[in-house]
Amino acid sequence: MNSKRRDFLALAGAASVAGFAGFNGGREAQPKTMSKFPLAGQTAAVVVVKAASYSKDLADAMLRGILECELDVAGKTVLLKPNFVEFDPNTCINTDVAVVATALEVFRSLGAADVQIGEGPGHRRDTLAIAELTRYRSEIPNFDEVFVDLNRDDVTGVKGFAGRDPFYFPNSVLSADIIVSLAKMKTHHWAGATLSMKNYFGLVPGSIYGWPKNELHYIGIDTAIVELNRVFGPKSFALVDGIVGMEGNGPIQGTRKQAGVMVMGSDLAAVDATCCRIMGIDPARVGYLQKAADQLGVIEESRIEQRGEAIKGLRTNFELIKQFSQLRLA
Amino acid sequence: MASKNESYLSTRLAVLRKTQNSDGGWGYFAGKSSWLEPTAYAALALAGEAAADRAWKLLSSWQLPDGSWKPAAEVQGSSWGTSLCATIAMTRKEWGQPLQNGVKWLVGSSGVESNWLNVAAARLRLVKQERDIGLKCWPWKPGNSGWVEPTVHALVALKQASAKLSSSELGSRVRMGEAQLMDVRSRDGGWNYGSPAALGVDLPSYPETTALALVGLQARDDLGNDLGKAFDLARRQLRETPSPMARAWLTIAMRLHGVKPEELSGDLQADLMITGIEALAAPEGNYHVMQTTGVTA
Repeated sequence: MNSKRRDFLALAGAASVAGFAGFNGGREAQPKTMSKFPLAGQTAAVVVVKAASYSKDLADAMLRGILECELDVAGKTVLLKPNFVEFDPNTCINTDVAVVATALEVFRSLGAADVQIGEGPGHRRDTLAIAELTRYRSEIPNFDEVFVDLNRDDVTGVKGFAGRDPFYFPNSVLSADIIVSLAKMKTHHWAGATLSMKNYFGLVPGSIYGWPKNELHYIGIDTAIVELNRVFGPKSFALVDGIVGMEGNGPIQGTRKQAGVMVMGSDLAAVDATCCRIMGIDPARVGYLQKAADQLGVIEESRIEQRGEAIKGLRTNFELIKQFSQLRLA
Repeated sequence: MASKNESYLSTRLAVLRKTQNSDGGWGYFAGKSSWLEPTAYAALALAGEAAADRAWKLLSSWQLPDGSWKPAAEVQGSSWGTSLCATIAMTRKEWGQPLQNGVKWLVGSSGVESNWLNVAAARLRLVKQERDIGLKCWPWKPGNSGWVEPTVHALVALKQASAKLSSSELGSRVRMGEAQLMDVRSRDGGWNYGSPAALGVDLPSYPETTALALVGLQARDDLGNDLGKAFDLARRQLRETPSPMARAWLTIAMRLHGVKPEELSGDLQADLMITGIEALAAPEGNYHVMQTTGVTA
């Protein structure tokens, strides 16, 4: 065993034994209110870790970030939700396989009772073929055994989702104790940016809603993002792969953009707002974050407790298509 | 000793026989709840067997009062799978009221992008459309836009139904559906899910949807070079795609168009829907259940 792996496992073991009391969504506990903005005045913690590449010290950086977030996974079932909506060898649509493989190992080492990987690609019918192209099947040990195709899972109806009663979700998603949004840092030609919250479009089963999941577009992209996170946000953790992201005409046809970071936290709105600032995007101008602000999470910079790297020196403007040029952070 | 082709088919049929749920259906994966889609492909692959009869009994119980089919026992609402059930009914030569109700529902079903409000808005240039929304096609579920795959299955079902249930409305929907497929073709000559461009930028085709579109465009020899270009692409996709599902659909499309495909091979898939489609695609398989001629006037 090499020394890096030994150090990583020792750190993981310590975390697992010590445990962390309470999972409060990364926010300071406040009394419940009936306000339209129940999170007004609250703060959230977000961790940014530098990672120059997918090969060097990834596990160590990821583990440090998770521990900084005080996430307790011991004895819990964890569903890792990467983004592999489709594949193009010429760009970087998907959460990198190294991030997914490392997350699987890290969450297991932290004492999770079970860790699965789940995704419901939005465009392609043969999910495992996409997993093949993205190298998930070849590079993640026993991938087929830990993977659940969310497009073809058995489902249960949930009431109160965007006026659709019921709206159906995969049982593997509903039964997981923690969902980890393993998103890719990308611009998006309809939403402005696609990060940890938008990544939850892949939780919606194609077996009912089709390819693409057009129902979400008719609900409204911003509203659908917020609704998905209203249902699943409270049991979520975000880990955004910004080591190499996508700029320009994302989420499919953009170009690679090195940002060299992973961004983590239990408040997904705060994580996405932080990603936006790193990308040179003003989160207050991103539609879904406007809707989520103080209802689902915190997006104001002054109320996000930045742990790990300071974001000031990390900003690297992602190219924006003309339609979203007004999102540029001043 | 069984030939390679017989073995390819027999191993898949054996898996389907072994994994049928006690209610008569199939899940997407063994041991999971029954769904319309894997059940329909398995029933078509096993047509003539008792297992297919049990499957049809289950599917028949899922038909809704409006003539459509729901996608699973516990899931409410109509689905595109109505087309597959209509095809099964015709394969079984059951032309009675359940089929007629299903066909009527299909003829009346279309994507919301082509409702009068959206068409009017497009004509007044209030909204920009990347495709001709005057051409009605079929959605995955009511209330959504039309896309390639549900359109193809509706075309297959309606063209088959036209042999005995012909009407001017049915004929009109088939012609519009075929025209819509041609309208949403990608610049590379194939098809993706139904969007050839986004924000003015071309989107590439996929092998599985290229194959399906060719299934939907049977008996359209008048398209000549257009289909020739699509078949050139399909042959390349068949060699290159890692997707067993895409290979099976490409093979079915070629067989239905009288083009000899390369021999199918490959491991069994855990996904029973793909197993069913692969069984249909085999040389001795029941791919002909998807065969159509032009609309009978």
